[in-house]
Amino acid sequence: MRMLQVVRKDLLRFFRDRRALVVSLVLPLIITFIMGLSFGGGVFGKKGISAIRIVGVTDGIPQMLRDPLTEGLEETGFFSVTWADSNTADEMVRGGEAAAAIVLPDDLVERFFQFEPIRIRVWKDPGSPLKAGIVEQVIERSLSPIQAGEAVYAGLWPEDIQPQRNQEWTSTLESYFQGDVQSVWKQWKQADEDPFWDIFQREFTRIMDRQAALSDAMEGPGVALEVENKAMTDAEGPQDDVNLFNYFLPTFSVFFLMFGVAAAARDFHREREMGTLNRQLLSPLNDRDFVLGKWMAAAIQGSIQLLVLFLAGAVLFRVNLGSDPWSLPLAVILTCTSAAGFFLLITLVCRTEKVADTLSTITVLAAAMLGGNMMPVDQLPDWVRSVGQYFFNYWANVSFSRVMVSDENLLATPQPLLMLGGSTVLFLVASLVAYRIRRAKGGVL
Amino acid sequence: MIQIENLVKKFGSIRAVDGISFSVQKGELFGLLGPNGAGKTTTINVLSTLLPPDGGTASIGGYDVAGDPSAVRRLIGIVPQEIALYQDLPARDNLNFWGRLYGMSGKALRMRVEELLEMADLRQQAGQKVETYSGGMKRRLNLVVGLIHAPEVLYLDEPTVGIDAQARGRILELIKELSGSGLTVIYTTHYLEEAEHLCDRIGVIDRGSMVALGDKEELIDQVGDQDHIRFHLPTARIDEFTRAFSGRQDCVVSGVVRGKMELLATDGARLLPDLQSWMTAQGEQLEQLEVERPNLETLYLNLTGRGLRE
Ligand SMILES: Nc1ncnc2c1ncn2[C@@H]1O[C@H](COP(=O)(O)OP(=O)(O)O)[C@@H](O)[C@H]1O
Ligand SMILES: [Mg+2]
Repeated sequence: MRMLQVVRKDLLRFFRDRRALVVSLVLPLIITFIMGLSFGGGVFGKKGISAIRIVGVTDGIPQMLRDPLTEGLEETGFFSVTWADSNTADEMVRGGEAAAAIVLPDDLVERFFQFEPIRIRVWKDPGSPLKAGIVEQVIERSLSPIQAGEAVYAGLWPEDIQPQRNQEWTSTLESYFQGDVQSVWKQWKQADEDPFWDIFQREFTRIMDRQAALSDAMEGPGVALEVENKAMTDAEGPQDDVNLFNYFLPTFSVFFLMFGVAAAARDFHREREMGTLNRQLLSPLNDRDFVLGKWMAAAIQGSIQLLVLFLAGAVLFRVNLGSDPWSLPLAVILTCTSAAGFFLLITLVCRTEKVADTLSTITVLAAAMLGGNMMPVDQLPDWVRSVGQYFFNYWANVSFSRVMVSDENLLATPQPLLMLGGSTVLFLVASLVAYRIRRAKGGVL
Repeated sequence: MIQIENLVKKFGSIRAVDGISFSVQKGELFGLLGPNGAGKTTTINVLSTLLPPDGGTASIGGYDVAGDPSAVRRLIGIVPQEIALYQDLPARDNLNFWGRLYGMSGKALRMRVEELLEMADLRQQAGQKVETYSGGMKRRLNLVVGLIHAPEVLYLDEPTVGIDAQARGRILELIKELSGSGLTVIYTTHYLEEAEHLCDRIGVIDRGSMVALGDKEELIDQVGDQDHIRFHLPTARIDEFTRAFSGRQDCVVSGVVRGKMELLATDGARLLPDLQSWMTAQGEQLEQLEVERPNLETLYLNLTGRGLRE
């Protein structure tokens, strides 16, 4: 097959080109690792990601506290909050309906007024470790100003830190916070006759005023929090050991793959300018073999790039490559054949290498944004997802996230693979047509 | 072997090749001489089936370039104007690739590659990347790549551009040898002395048209047998001089050429004493005198009005 001679020659050139090797292999490795290691900055810290569903556990949490909590959590832009009792919450988390549950202690109100540290537990959904990780991160991050606030408060008003540990006091207090806002309000209005009301009102007002003054100063709620993670299931493996690279590696790899394959496809223009294309046109090599050869060379370069990145990830960062022996290789190959077809088509419709370079860079960035290389596919807002579906990298990202994050067998639900395969055929046919048109117009000289 | 009749190739409104005709015999070394932009490369591209002609016909070995391009391609080898090589690969890998495209393999390919490396005098450097080669080495490799499949006809498009005199000499020797062994060659150049030194017949092409065609002697005959006499003449004397000499039968005053007065004389030797005495009579010295016998350069200047730019 003459086509294979083109492939062989292009791969020989690829492996002898130190710059190409650095750009397509070494650089992505370094950048991916740096980005991955510094998780927490940037990538997920943006608003506008579709909200992560979390569930707050209502046991012992009065409605009055729920509303500001809900508001506060939703304001971060990360979460949509529902409330349920601990059993329902447990089921929701286990069933994957919610990414995490935030469990506030039953004695929250007591502890609040007695200035004891409040312990918040997070129940994680082992099926979406990343989202649960975000919940944890957000809570952890909001902790530091709160803890600082507590220190300031203790310094200013030490008498508040040694409160009277009066059981009656706190249980009566709690009764004022039962029910919804209206009933609480009603209770408060009727409380005039209650002998306890006076003390309560005085104490409460004093504490609240100081808390409010303080929180104005600190711009944070005046509560001390403590986070305790709690893995939900007894499922195999240590649940806390969430490997963020399972997400990062494939999305960044596909991102770099697009640049690498686009550069490989642009070799058409370099051959045209060098004059080696003309020489090939004069040899017995036909149009189809030439186009297919260029395509296959780019696809193989891409596959090598992905495999090297994935294997390095597996060795250095224990990235999960899936347990099905066929899923990952198939996803890699089909991603690369589709990418090579796509960028070859772009190359062929552009008049010069410079134009092709510009257009493919713009396309890579747009595809990365819409197809889920800037943020995980399942975090994409619905509208982005519906647009992203028209980009091959969306299906590549879906495939890799299913294999490497959820450890699924892609052959069982082959839609992403079929999309990649189908788009490959489509891009190839279009590339052949584009090449023929170009040749007929004399545009290969 | 090669028959070209009224060949036309247009790029939009530009007639890059504007109705040229010539033929090349088997084993002949035909020179296509012309300045940059004359249409040499375009002609080669049409003759090698890379561009379809817009008019006229061209056939190679009896096959029409438009009608039977693949048969033409089997006969021809091309050495393009640019260094059409993979500079990131060694010479041997380059030759191997081109050989395999022509279906060669195994021992036959190996032998052919070694033979060509020998011919290009590159055996020592065959394992080094082409980008490390000198201009002359690249040109030699570029040349032998065109021979990989042992073509019957070889097109050489300005194969010596951009290299020093010594490297050029080696390439011209190589081409002479090839031609001597029976290969039919079309050699394009804008160097007059190359065409003169190398080619059996020369076609002079300018602005897409063939302005002269023949072997060296025939071309010089076309210039006529006039000698060119040039000398320094003060501007004030030009009118006087023209009046005095334009009536004569044995010469033509062609005017000021390159800052000097020029005369075309049927016999320069006879005219010079008259010129000398006229100048003396005017009280002028005959200075910066040049007498040029007819040659291709004069022909070329006359035909194209342009020098052969480097
Ligand atoms: N692909 C092209 N498109 C438009 N004009 C061209 C193209 N190729 C050559 N020309 C024009 O055709 C003329 C002849 O060019 P060319 O054959 O390259 O000359 P030469 O090889 O003798 O230097 C020039 O005017 C050049 O600008
Ligand atoms: Mg040229």
